Amino acid sequence: MSDRTLFQLGAPLLFGALSLTANAGEITWEVVETAEPVEASAPVVKLLLSADKIYTAAGDVIDGGTIAIAGSKIAAVVPGASGDHEGLHVGAITPGMVDLSPRIHLADLSVEESSETIPYLSTTDGIDLFDKRWERLLRTGVTSVMYTPADEACIGGMMAVLKTGGEPSIEDRLVEADVALRGAFGSHASRGNHPVYGRPTDHFSRRPTTRMGTEWVHRKSFYDALAAMKNEERQFEGWEILASVLEGERPYFVQASATQDIRTAIYLKEEVGLPLLVVDAAAEAWKEPGLLVRSGTAAVLPPHAPQGRTAIDNGFLAWNTAKTLVDLGVPVALSSHGQSSVTGQLGAQAGYAMRGGLTRDEAIAAVTITPARLAGVDDRVGSIEVGKDADLILWSGEPFAATSRVVGVVLNGEVVFTSSN
Amino acid sequence: MTIPRTLVQGALCASLLLGSLQVADAAAGDKLVIEAGRIITQAGDDIVDGVIVIENGRITAIGAAADVEKPWDAPVLGGPDFVASPGFVEAHSDSGMDRSNENLDVTPFLNVRDSIDPVSFYFEDCKRWGITTINVQQGNNTVVAGNGRIVKPTGMTVEEMTMRPNYGFKISIAPKGGKSRATQRQALERAFGDLRSELEELATDAQETKDYERREALAQGRDLEEGKAPGRAMTGTGWKVEGLENVDRAEIDEKILPLLEMVEGRHDVFLYCGAPMDVQPAIDFAAKNGLTARTTLVLDNSCWKAADAIAASGLSVVLDSNLVHVETDVVTEEETETFVPGVFAEKGIPFALSSANSSTNSLWFQAAVCVGHGMSPKDAMAAVTTTAAEIIGLGDQVGSLEVGKLANVLLLTGDPLDMTSFVEQAVVEGSVIYDRTKDVRNKHLYEGVEPRGAAAVETEEAELPSKDDAK
Repeated sequence: MSDRTLFQLGAPLLFGALSLTANAGEITWEVVETAEPVEASAPVVKLLLSADKIYTAAGDVIDGGTIAIAGSKIAAVVPGASGDHEGLHVGAITPGMVDLSPRIHLADLSVEESSETIPYLSTTDGIDLFDKRWERLLRTGVTSVMYTPADEACIGGMMAVLKTGGEPSIEDRLVEADVALRGAFGSHASRGNHPVYGRPTDHFSRRPTTRMGTEWVHRKSFYDALAAMKNEERQFEGWEILASVLEGERPYFVQASATQDIRTAIYLKEEVGLPLLVVDAAAEAWKEPGLLVRSGTAAVLPPHAPQGRTAIDNGFLAWNTAKTLVDLGVPVALSSHGQSSVTGQLGAQAGYAMRGGLTRDEAIAAVTITPARLAGVDDRVGSIEVGKDADLILWSGEPFAATSRVVGVVLNGEVVFTSSN
Repeated sequence: MTIPRTLVQGALCASLLLGSLQVADAAAGDKLVIEAGRIITQAGDDIVDGVIVIENGRITAIGAAADVEKPWDAPVLGGPDFVASPGFVEAHSDSGMDRSNENLDVTPFLNVRDSIDPVSFYFEDCKRWGITTINVQQGNNTVVAGNGRIVKPTGMTVEEMTMRPNYGFKISIAPKGGKSRATQRQALERAFGDLRSELEELATDAQETKDYERREALAQGRDLEEGKAPGRAMTGTGWKVEGLENVDRAEIDEKILPLLEMVEGRHDVFLYCGAPMDVQPAIDFAAKNGLTARTTLVLDNSCWKAADAIAASGLSVVLDSNLVHVETDVVTEEETETFVPGVFAEKGIPFALSSANSSTNSLWFQAAVCVGHGMSPKDAMAAVTTTAAEIIGLGDQVGSLEVGKLANVLLLTGDPLDMTSFVEQAVVEGSVIYDRTKDVRNKHLYEGVEPRGAAAVETEEAELPSKDDAK
């Protein structure tokens, strides 16, 4: 019996015994008698979760499996689910979702108007953690987000990855600060601006006022940064951040929805050399997918709209876009733009992408491990693997099916949400 | 005189110009067989490898392939890969109209017929997502609204679309824009109060005329000839005005006549409640005016709180499309979610679901969400098929696949509640009204195939026809 006995709630986790159970169909949970006293540092299993299916987003789908959580981390993932232990049993478990475009900013109040290029600003300094939308996102299974500034500056500052729950302090929620630089093409970057006439003191009297101007500002900024990298005298505020993007240390996340704006972004990447480009709100990426393949660009898709036209620059998002891009090898992440409604939330977006042809496994990757990789936080979140943060979604049935829903969310090893009806 | 049908068809065939009309005519009158790997009947168990036989727009046989004889001359749709399901029934909608609200308070003399746009995108989307019966009523922003209509989403004129003309009235208990609840209730009281006093006045006048004639006859020493009463006595279970049989109905102002018909129980009424506090007044209003037997409550999603009152009243309800009610605690700001259909199911209140939009949040999705919250697929489907049909008085016509019912059948690529299923073909009264392979907009949305004319043609690559070709 003892060789099939692993761990139980509150008991130290014994990794040696665990390996014996990999092929065991059933698991019984009881205290393991150990000859040696357990070391104080051994992780203590505090939560056991089992499901009919575990989608790890790390290559496996386990039919009937159990996840053991110790502290805030995943301590073990094993096949075999037993109904007689004290943990929870659900239809399916997936990693918590990662949304790279949640857009929980304070609308126009978060737009810095001192300049159209503000790479040196960090969005971590402007986050309202008391916004109700964090909690709503968490209920829908989004456990990590990249905090985006409003796209009304050409180069709009650095973005952080945060957890959606926990204590309302940046220290507690921050996964990583300044992971990526934000930029915007399209009409948003110049929205509301006008040239200097009439009211010269108006702060909207600033460049750029057209798509052409937006592109000019981008090119000038990156060329100035290239010059600053060679010549100390030409350094300017924030040049080193642009340099880090040019050197591929940080990805450049740029909003471009219409196909003309996606072209502009990719041509800029190829012209100045931006190793890591991610096009956000890339609704019309389906029109010229070859450009993304050629340039090695990744895409974050905006929420699917019932009639195809999305909110940003009226970009038409065909519902097979994710499928088309995934088939071509383009990294694709889906986003919710902060919606928590039944039809708007990130899980629904994954369902719509499946309606457009994506397989369930591909859809899971597009809301978990792919966005985590694009944001460079896949060492901590985005898949169910031993040692990663225990951020999990408990589903009533198959993930993203219209007939399934999120019945529980685990964040940093704690059950932060359960739903009974 | 009846013209033999074959003769008409022959004449149409003879005319090349009218060839397409002949096809439509034949489809409506002729036979059709639908085969499916699974038939969801909503009238009992599902049928595996089933066959539906349709003649003259109605189902004449349904069952397992082995048990049903297929007419040799009927075209066959579907196949083992398809799932057949009843067409969905929208129990209440204000979509498809030019504008859904009239700014006057009491307008029972208006008719949504004049507002329905047969080519509106809404009806096109209904076909695509399997809604085959729609009860179109004016919006909720009203006191007493115009006369509604039950339509199917096919046809180029309102008449062609109509299943049931002049059906139902919307009455709102919740305040319309610019009113408080007090002024709304007052306006509603006044509408029916004015009706009553006007009828009483007419009845009194008629009685006086009658009395005068009798006195005159008495004075002249002749017997009064008792003629046939010009009108008929008021019926109904609410209040009555005595002596209305003496009033010719044509004398009653047509602007209030529909209200009289409502009180007499001759119209279905859809009472809108915008908050739990509207529910009991709605029930009382219906009882007072004799509407109860024909009333359905149209509810805001907060109205689950008044579920006990609704259960006691025995009324059916149409639920708001937002199925989860979120309430924020005023002190702690904590949000509590309630799954609304679950409350009604638990109390045994018959409910129909409604669409929020005509596609992603359409009836199939509403039913799927209910399954996600623990309802059985059959019960969830009932709320968008049989229960909805019963609410609009078409329970014996649509909503399930049974012999004798109208042949409103969907052929789907999978389970109707599955996100990845598509309606492949939709059949209404035996005619195919939707075919996905010919749906240009669907191809645009799901395959990125732009409709002809939408994309700019790159001229250097396009082959221009030469003048020789034109000859």
